[in-house]
Amino acid sequence: MAGKLARLAWIALWPVALAAQDPRLGRVDPSVRDSVAALTDSARVEGLPANALIEKALEGTSKQARGPVILAAVRALAAELRSARSALGSSSTTAEVAAGAAALHSGARPTDLADLRLRRPAQSLLVPLGVLSDLVARGVPPDSASHAVLALASRAADEDYLAFRREVERDIALGAPPAAAAAVRLNASARQALTAHGQKP
Amino acid sequence: MSEHDRDLPDLIDRVARTLREPVATDGALDARIMARVLAAPAPAAGGAWWRWLRRPALSPLGAIGLAAILAGVLLAPRVRRTPAARPTLSEVQFVFVAPRASSVSVVGDFNDWNLAATPLARAGAAGVWSVSVPLEPGRYTYAFVVDGRRWAADPDAPRAAGDDFGTPNSVVLVRGAS
Amino acid sequence: MGIHHVGASDGDLVRRVKAGDARAYADLVARYRPRLARYATRMLGNREDAEEALQDAFVRGYRSLARCDDPEGFGPWLFGILVNRCRTRGAQSARRERLLVHDDAALASVPSAEPPGDDEWHEAVGRALARLEPHYREAFVLKYVEDLSYEEMARLTGAGVSALKMRVKRACERLRGMLEEVQRV
Repeated sequence: MAGKLARLAWIALWPVALAAQDPRLGRVDPSVRDSVAALTDSARVEGLPANALIEKALEGTSKQARGPVILAAVRALAAELRSARSALGSSSTTAEVAAGAAALHSGARPTDLADLRLRRPAQSLLVPLGVLSDLVARGVPPDSASHAVLALASRAADEDYLAFRREVERDIALGAPPAAAAAVRLNASARQALTAHGQKP
Repeated sequence: MSEHDRDLPDLIDRVARTLREPVATDGALDARIMARVLAAPAPAAGGAWWRWLRRPALSPLGAIGLAAILAGVLLAPRVRRTPAARPTLSEVQFVFVAPRASSVSVVGDFNDWNLAATPLARAGAAGVWSVSVPLEPGRYTYAFVVDGRRWAADPDAPRAAGDDFGTPNSVVLVRGAS
Repeated sequence: MGIHHVGASDGDLVRRVKAGDARAYADLVARYRPRLARYATRMLGNREDAEEALQDAFVRGYRSLARCDDPEGFGPWLFGILVNRCRTRGAQSARRERLLVHDDAALASVPSAEPPGDDEWHEAVGRALARLEPHYREAFVLKYVEDLSYEEMARLTGAGVSALKMRVKRACERLRGMLEEVQRV
């Protein structure tokens, strides 16, 4: 962090016109460009994935959204990144923080993310968080999706999460209500786990 | 500028000549490369699994499954939470069906949402477009743009929750060792 | 590294590697490393990233040698692998401060009003290139450093010829804008 601040300091001193802003922000609506740059700089200094904010601004630009809409989206994402990092812990990877922000955006609660980390302290949360967001996007209510992902957390490998998501999506595609599909697959998974341990379901 | 125009403006010519100069590399680089080569498995006889990845019918979901299997087979099974020094790249194939389109590109946070950066090419079957992109582990949001102006999500991939700008995005999850 | 078959063609070496002689690959590495290193350094802006991209490309080339349909065309094929590696790495390094190339001693100095010396010109070119958007930089380097035809560039990048011509044109315009001042001083 001190290194980053030092670099930012000498950039300001170097008289030749070096880009203090990420050059990609040159594409963004001039009316909000400086505000977006300030948000990304703050994020960078805090150790949050600033690139995700730049990408959000570029997405809005490519989709020809108006400046204020872009700025609002970048602000919202910055808040979600901050909240995700706080819930997941400061040693989380950039990808985990970004995936956590997406999960929050889809309706998960910060406590869900914190619980997930507690139940899976030593493994990457990239897949569980991704599956959480994807389930919600398919129509599973956020509470049900969080419940399912947390229930699997202590025993499921990443492949199990992906298989779970595939099965729920298939059931939904076949006409099952999303919440029911998630519940049914979760029960099936629990039965499988019990059987694997030699107990009767 | 015509293709064979060597009458470049002086400045550009000077830039080009500067950039054509050789660069210094670490003296041990060749040895490092060969050390990795000799540690790698011998070139596959038919490269069958790679061919499967390139067939147009494989959706990002299928590619994720394959990448997941590869990650399990080729990489250390113990997952670390700190980022690996050398993240593994996985080839992800994006496929879109648009028989009447004259151009299709994939746009997302892996190419700065740049409409020109990653065009799809017509694949074997009529109306099928595809491109293969190497991606590090992570979660990526993307969409297709048809004929430079029509935005479309990927019908075969999970939807990104909520859309901030009025058009929906899709998500691809690329797994790795960390 | 053993016996170097100096006169061997790319095809000969590739066939030998496919037949099980992994060390023959060392001759291909020695043959192509200078040119690939130059491209990777121009595209990525610093030696560390360039050497990593280079290693990735060579190892990938070795692993997927079965997919190299034309052994005599190993060079262009390998170059295509490197172009892709640089695209991916370029996307990442945009997130980092590219200006990390400067060391602390250079930071302390202030540029004077003297005419640009060779070092200053080289630095200015490097910075200007780094500030180009990646696909403009790629097109410029492929055209004017690697000396490829637009058809070859199209095959390599998947972009159309007219799109590539536009990218080269824009790259030249932007480089001119950034460097004319430096040259004039």
